[in-house]
Amino acid sequence: MAAKIQDIDDTPTLPMTGAAYLPGVAYDEMIAHGGDVRAHYAALQSRISTLGAGELADRQRMLERSFLLQGITFTVYGADSATERIIPTDLFPRILPAQEWAKIEAGLTQRLQALNMFLADIYGEQQILMDGVVPRELVLGAPSYRREMQNLYVPHKAYANVCGSDLIRGQDGEFAVLEDNLRVPSGVSYMLANRDASKRTFPGAYREAGVRPVERYPDLLLATLKSMSADWRPNPQVVVLTPGVYNSAYYEHAYLARLMGVPLVEGRDLVVHDNMVYMRTTTGLRRVDVIYRRVDDDFIDPLTFRRDSSLGAAGLFNAYRAGNVVMCNAPGTGVADDKAVYAFVPDIIRYYLGEDAILPNIETFLCREPAQLSHVLDNLDKLVVKAVGASGGYGMLVGPHASARERSEFADALKADPANYIAQPTIQLSTAPCLVDGRIEPRHVDLRPFILSGEKTVVTPGALTRVALKRGSLVVNSSQGGGSKDTWVLAEENGHNGNGAGHSAEKGTGQ
Amino acid sequence: MMLARVADSLYWLGRYIERAEHLSRLSTVMLNATLDQTDTGAEAVRIALSAVGETDLTAGAFEAAKGLVLDRSDPNSVVSSLSRARENARQVRDQITTETWERLNLLYLKVMDRNAGREFADNSVTFLHDIIADVHLFKGAADTTMSHGESWRFMMVGMYLERAQLIASLLEACFAEDSPRVNDHLALVSLLRMGCALEPYLRVYTAEIEPRHILEFMVFDEDFPRSIRFATSQIEKHLSELARHVEATGRAAPERLAGRLKARLEFADVGELESQGAGELLTTVANECARIHQAIYETFVAYPLEMRLPA
Repeated sequence: MAAKIQDIDDTPTLPMTGAAYLPGVAYDEMIAHGGDVRAHYAALQSRISTLGAGELADRQRMLERSFLLQGITFTVYGADSATERIIPTDLFPRILPAQEWAKIEAGLTQRLQALNMFLADIYGEQQILMDGVVPRELVLGAPSYRREMQNLYVPHKAYANVCGSDLIRGQDGEFAVLEDNLRVPSGVSYMLANRDASKRTFPGAYREAGVRPVERYPDLLLATLKSMSADWRPNPQVVVLTPGVYNSAYYEHAYLARLMGVPLVEGRDLVVHDNMVYMRTTTGLRRVDVIYRRVDDDFIDPLTFRRDSSLGAAGLFNAYRAGNVVMCNAPGTGVADDKAVYAFVPDIIRYYLGEDAILPNIETFLCREPAQLSHVLDNLDKLVVKAVGASGGYGMLVGPHASARERSEFADALKADPANYIAQPTIQLSTAPCLVDGRIEPRHVDLRPFILSGEKTVVTPGALTRVALKRGSLVVNSSQGGGSKDTWVLAEENGHNGNGAGHSAEKGTGQ
Repeated sequence: MMLARVADSLYWLGRYIERAEHLSRLSTVMLNATLDQTDTGAEAVRIALSAVGETDLTAGAFEAAKGLVLDRSDPNSVVSSLSRARENARQVRDQITTETWERLNLLYLKVMDRNAGREFADNSVTFLHDIIADVHLFKGAADTTMSHGESWRFMMVGMYLERAQLIASLLEACFAEDSPRVNDHLALVSLLRMGCALEPYLRVYTAEIEPRHILEFMVFDEDFPRSIRFATSQIEKHLSELARHVEATGRAAPERLAGRLKARLEFADVGELESQGAGELLTTVANECARIHQAIYETFVAYPLEMRLPA
C-alpha cells in the first residue's frame, strides 16, 4: 500500500504540519486522485517526510546560494540598469517513469523528423503546399519564412538541430505538445544545473530512484554540430555565437561553449572574407566551419537581414549560402514553430511519415478562418488567445482570468487582424509539489525536453520543468516570474524500485 | 589559439585583480598606521594617497580608505576594480575554470552587497583582510585549476604589468626627487607593508630599515614576487611564450620591450641610484610598462586585418 497523504500530515517534523499537501482539480505529478502517492514518487516522498521544515529551508537556501555563486543568472532590465537574478529554483525534482518517457521520446523524435522534412520541403519543392495540406499563404506569408533559404542545401536536411518543445499534461494525465521551439531555444543549461543541484540536495533519493543521466548533452550537441559539416570538412572548427554578455541567456551560451570546449564568439570577433568566415584570434585569423548561433535570424547578417544589427557579421549569410560555413539552427526554421502552422503539425506528420502523431496537439482555433473566429469571439471567456508571432508569454489573453474590458479590447484586436491570432482551450496544467514559503504546495508545471538532430536525432532523457510559482497561475515563462526544477527520468529497470510499499499499488496504472 | 577579444579580457582581468589587492592593502596599512598617536599616521596616509595619484590629502584616513575601497563612482576603487574584473571574467567565462570564477564572483558579491558599507565601518581591517585573502584564493584557484596555457598567461601578463606599475608609483611617492623624504622608521615600515614586503625584507636585511635597502629590495630583488625586477621577468617570460605563436619570424614587439626593461633592471647599478636618485629609473619603468601595454594591444588584439588575411 502506498503511503497516503494523511500519513504525512501526522508526522510532527513535517513542514506541512497544519496544512496537508492538497492538489486541486489538476492532475498532480505526485498524488493520484485517490490520494495515494504515485509509486515513482514514493522514495522521494518518504525522504522528504523525514526532513523538518528548517532542514528543507536550509537546503533551498544552499541551492539558491550555489546558483548565485556560480553565476547561473539571467539579466533583468530595469529603468536604468540591468541586474542579474537567479531563476527561482525549486529543490524538489519532478519525476517521470520510464514508460511515460518512452512515449515522449518517440513522440518528439517523430515530430522533429516531420518538421525537418516540412522545412526541407517548403524551402525546396513545396510539395506539401501544392497538395494543399498546409495553406500556402500561411507559410509563405509568415514573417519567419526566409525566402533567402529557398533551394539551399542543408546537410541531412536537418534544419532544426536543437529543438526544445513544450509539453503539458492535461487533466487526463496525458502529455500534449503546447508549442515547438525551433529557433534558438534556451533552458538546457538550467536542466544541467538543476541536475547538479538535485544530486547534492537529495543524493540518497537520487541513487535509489535510478535516474537516467543528462550530462552527455554537451558532447551530443557537439557531435550534432560537427555532423552538419563532416561531409566536407572532416575536423570542423565549431563556435557558439552569442549576442553578448547583455543577453538574458548569456550564461547558457558561455556554459555550453565551456562544456563543449569551443570558442564563444560575438559578431565582432568574426570576419567574412571571400565568403569564408574567420574569427580574430591572438595568432591571426582562424577559419570557422560550424556556428551554433544563439542570435535570432534577424540579427545574423546586416547585409541580408536587419541592417541595424551589430550582433552578427556582415556577409555571414553569403558564406553560408556558398556552403563555406554551417549555421545551426538553419535560418528560417521559425516558420515551423509558428503558432498558426502548429495547428497543422499532426497533418504534417501524417503527410511525410504516414503515421499518426504519437503526442497530440492542443485543440487550436485559427482565427484566420471566419467560422473559427466567430467561435473564438463567442467563447473568449473560456479560451487562451495568442498572437502568432509573439513568444515569452507576451501578446496573449487568458480568457477565464481576464476582465470583461480586457476581453472586449482583445476582441477588437482580433477582428482587426484575425490572421495574427490563434486560440486554445484553457488547460489545467498538471501540478507538482514545490517548496513555497516553507510549505509544500502544488504548483502548475510544464515540461521542456531537448531534442538534437543532425546525422541522428536524439532526445536527452531529462528536461527543464518550468514552474508557475504564483498560486493558481498557469504562466511558467521565466520572463513572467516562473521558476524551474529538475526532472528525473527513471531508467526502465528501476522504474518501480523506489519503495517497496508503492510497488504493487501502482503497478497496474499507466499500462 | 584564442579569440583576440578574449585575450584582451583576460589581460584586464589580471590587471583589475592586482589593482584590487593593492588598493586593499594600501588602505589596511593606512588605517593601521593611524591607530597610533604619532606623526607617522599622516605620513602613511600621504604615501598611500600619492601612490594612487590622489592629490587631496585632507581627508581623514577612514574616509580616504572608504573611498579607495567602496566608492563606486571612482573607476579605480576596489569595488570598481572587482566589478570590472568580474565583468571581464563573465565575457570569458568559457576560458576560466569554475573554481576560479566562483572565487571572483564571491568577492564581487561581497563588495557589492548592500551591507558592505556597514561592514567596512564596523570592522574595516577584517573586511579588507578578507578581501585580500579572497584575492589570494582567486590567484591560487587560477594557478592550480587553469591550464597554464594562453588564457592563463594573458592573465599573468596583466597581473604583473599592473604590479610593476603599482610598485613603481608606490616607490615614486617616497623616493622621487620632488617627493618629501621619508626617513621615519615607522613610515618606512608602513611603506614595506604597502608593498607586502615587510617580512621578506626582514629576512634579507634584518630589522635595519633603510631607504637604500628598501629600494634595492623592491626594485631589484630577484626572488621577491613584488619587486619590479621579478614582475618584469615574469612579464618577459609569459610574453615570450605567447609570442611563439604569433609570427614565424622575428620577435614580437611586446616581448622585445619587456626583455629590454628586464635587462636594464638586471644590470642596473644600485650605487648609481644612491648618487643620482631613483626618480629617473622609476619613471623609466612606468613609461616602459605603458609601452609594453600598448604593444600587447597592437600585437594580439587590434592588429590590422589586411596583414592576416589569406592570400
